Amino acid sequence: MDFSFTYEQSMLRESVTRYLEKNYAFETRQEIVRSAQPYSSDAWKTYHELGLLALPFPEEAGGLDGSIVDLIAIAEPFGAHLVVEPYVPSIMLAGGALAAVREQPLAQQWLEKIIEGEAIGAFAHEDSHRVGDAKQGPVRATASGDGHRLEGRKQLVLAAAEADVLVVSATAENGAQALFALEPTTPGVSLTPFTTIDGRSAAHVDFDGVEVPAQACLSADAAEIIGSVVGQALVVLAAEAVGATGEVLRQTAEYAGTRHQFGVPIGSFQTVAHRLADMKMDATKAQATLLYTAALVEAGTATPRDISVLKAQVGRLGRKVAEAAVQTHGGIGMTDELAIGHYLKRIVLIETIFGDSDYHYRLVGAAN
Amino acid sequence: MDLESGPELEEFRREVTEFLDSAPTDAIREAGRKTTSAFSPFDETIAWQRILHEKGWVAPGWPVEYGGTGWSVEQRYVFAEESAKRGLPPLLPNCLKMIGPLLIDLGTEEQKAKYLPGMLSGDDYWTQGYSEPGAGSDLASLSCSAVADGDDYIINGSKIWTTLAHRANRMFMLVRTSTEGKKQQGITFLLLDRLDYPGIEIRPIIGLDGFPEQCEVFFDNARVPQSGRVGEENQGWAVAKHLLKHERGGGTNSPWHERFLGRIKDAARVRTSPFGGVLAEDPVFCRELGELEAEVASVTALERLAVSGHAIADNPAFSSMTKTINSELTQRLTTVLARVTGEDALVLQREALEVGGGVDPIGDDIDLVAMPYYLNSRATSIYAGTNEVQRDLIARTLSSR
Ligand SMILES: Cc1cc2nc3c(=O)[nH]c(=O)nc-3n(C[C@H](O)[C@H](O)[C@H](O)COP(=O)(O)OP(=O)(O)OC[C@H]3O[C@@H](n4cnc5c(N)ncnc54)[C@H](O)[C@@H]3O)c2cc1C
Repeated sequence: MDFSFTYEQSMLRESVTRYLEKNYAFETRQEIVRSAQPYSSDAWKTYHELGLLALPFPEEAGGLDGSIVDLIAIAEPFGAHLVVEPYVPSIMLAGGALAAVREQPLAQQWLEKIIEGEAIGAFAHEDSHRVGDAKQGPVRATASGDGHRLEGRKQLVLAAAEADVLVVSATAENGAQALFALEPTTPGVSLTPFTTIDGRSAAHVDFDGVEVPAQACLSADAAEIIGSVVGQALVVLAAEAVGATGEVLRQTAEYAGTRHQFGVPIGSFQTVAHRLADMKMDATKAQATLLYTAALVEAGTATPRDISVLKAQVGRLGRKVAEAAVQTHGGIGMTDELAIGHYLKRIVLIETIFGDSDYHYRLVGAAN
Repeated sequence: MDLESGPELEEFRREVTEFLDSAPTDAIREAGRKTTSAFSPFDETIAWQRILHEKGWVAPGWPVEYGGTGWSVEQRYVFAEESAKRGLPPLLPNCLKMIGPLLIDLGTEEQKAKYLPGMLSGDDYWTQGYSEPGAGSDLASLSCSAVADGDDYIINGSKIWTTLAHRANRMFMLVRTSTEGKKQQGITFLLLDRLDYPGIEIRPIIGLDGFPEQCEVFFDNARVPQSGRVGEENQGWAVAKHLLKHERGGGTNSPWHERFLGRIKDAARVRTSPFGGVLAEDPVFCRELGELEAEVASVTALERLAVSGHAIADNPAFSSMTKTINSELTQRLTTVLARVTGEDALVLQREALEVGGGVDPIGDDIDLVAMPYYLNSRATSIYAGTNEVQRDLIARTLSSR
């Protein structure tokens, strides 16, 4: 098995990295986060020009037929530069789901727009975990006239506030997972928009007796599709985490070599040196798990257990590295001014969404 | 230590709870709920300090002649316990736990008379000016200089990480008065009775939670009176070491850890486990919570022994141990709270964290504080001497090297 990037993949990664180094320095990234816009439309345009928005989709759907390894080749630099554009929600999740059901005219229409950068999609999938208020429970779909009626809440829907289309999973009356596409302006849909700790735009989405026509139902039995779409997205998210982990380690090692206390670089204290060594081992394990899992996905042999292993490992190891990075920086690691804390926040978010490390470890343990 | 409570202590507890249930304003209670670090919201915490001062309960740890309460060890514990149970904002430590006790030990009569009343009443807030950009763990290498000129010192240089300097009107600081000999020997401990002397500039630093808490303080030929010196010139290192004991020292942290456990449990009761039922009944969660509770129980035991005067606390590195143990326990507690709140904690909610801002949180109070608490707790192993430095100090007491 060859786990290296191909020449084409390296070139693609190079061009993304070059663009980000020039146009997405940390200070620029912070300006984007502080601006009124949820993300940089210039950057999005460039991703479109570079073909990234079409990358994961089949050729017949207007895509570039890219593999999962192509995707991680670009997602690692995304993570290293903490980019805030909605690549995972719009391309991997909403786009991925639409592509899987593109025989539906509505799906193909939206997918084309997403690939052209003319529309943003959001994937409303994760249910709230709160008990009590039934309205805030999982989203359910019931038959209503010729169409369907949606009720419930989806939480932390990335890019929902700027989305042109929501792809929504819902439990149907027969217990199956159904998939719907609808515009956020549909009556009964209401958003609680917010910014996440890592500077992204997201929203809780409430469905209060939302009536949708029959053709809005993209699939009446979508569990498998959802599993595969989320699985692919998790690999890309994991690649972002690995990119962020490698970069926060690089910056910390550099700092430990230049920061002097007691007349010597702090990296020469054994505690600091050993912690850096631990960070390196953790980052290495995370990266190896990513590359190996991506190869399994590409070969079509990845199991849900493999995806859980990856999600749990990059989350836990990445967080360990980022926490150690803050500690190694001392006071300055606690400031908003430095990128270090922003890597921690990004990794914590990735670790938490779509099932946290604890959740995935339990799945792994139970899969034996 | 007498573990039996006895009718007198119960009577005292009744008196305390009655007061704690009635005296704090809504804003003070809100500040308690919105506390996300060792530094609770400034204005409301000072307001609470004023109320406690009027009652005569502001400084249980101080000697009676300086405004202490004269409470027994058990009574002080009860007070801390009942305050924590109600989630009232902990009073800011700088005056009551650091510079106040130091002045009582080492200040001149004049300094005590001039400064202690304002520390108790909350009229004054003192910030700690030790660390510098080049002098963190290696504090003794500090270079901010004070040159004697008549009755004054002229100060040049800068301080950093000076917590709440932007809200303080006074500062206790370390300055370099000599570059001869060992670096520890040329340091002087100085009180600044004002922070608006010409030549002083204060710039807040934004933290990981998005709020200003630490500051940079710049001195450009700032002229301050020499009468603020504590101890002799060039003897400030010994003064600072004396204070460190108060800063890192034991105290009563366990009621706050208990309170934190309570919040974790509250959060776990209203969230479902992805493996069925509510989280609070999920066996894997219970196992983790159990370990945390046991850790808190051990810290409680340690603190109770220490305040009783048990020899376990005689270890020369005891304050380093309690600092390290408490900070790492705080980090574990905040980590678990953030994990229990899960995605609800990922929402950035700066406006809702403002006391009296009138902005409702998305989710509940716990969702609001879990993430800033987690992020801010990363600093507990950095400030008051990093845990690496503490471990060095502890190890030094174990074997000669
Ligand atoms: C929230 C917060 C509040 C603070 N409040 C105040 C305040 O009010 N007043 C004030 O004066 N200061 C304050 N500080 C500063 C604090 O005391 C310093 O941050 C601390 O002493 C560490 O110094 P540094 O930040 O320069 O880190 P450095 O000393 O540069 O340390 C960087 C890393 O190197 C490690 N290291 C350094 N030396 C050694 C060694 N010999 N062996 C092993 N490891 C070593 C450290 O442990 C750390 O991990 C505050 C800091 C924070 C984060």
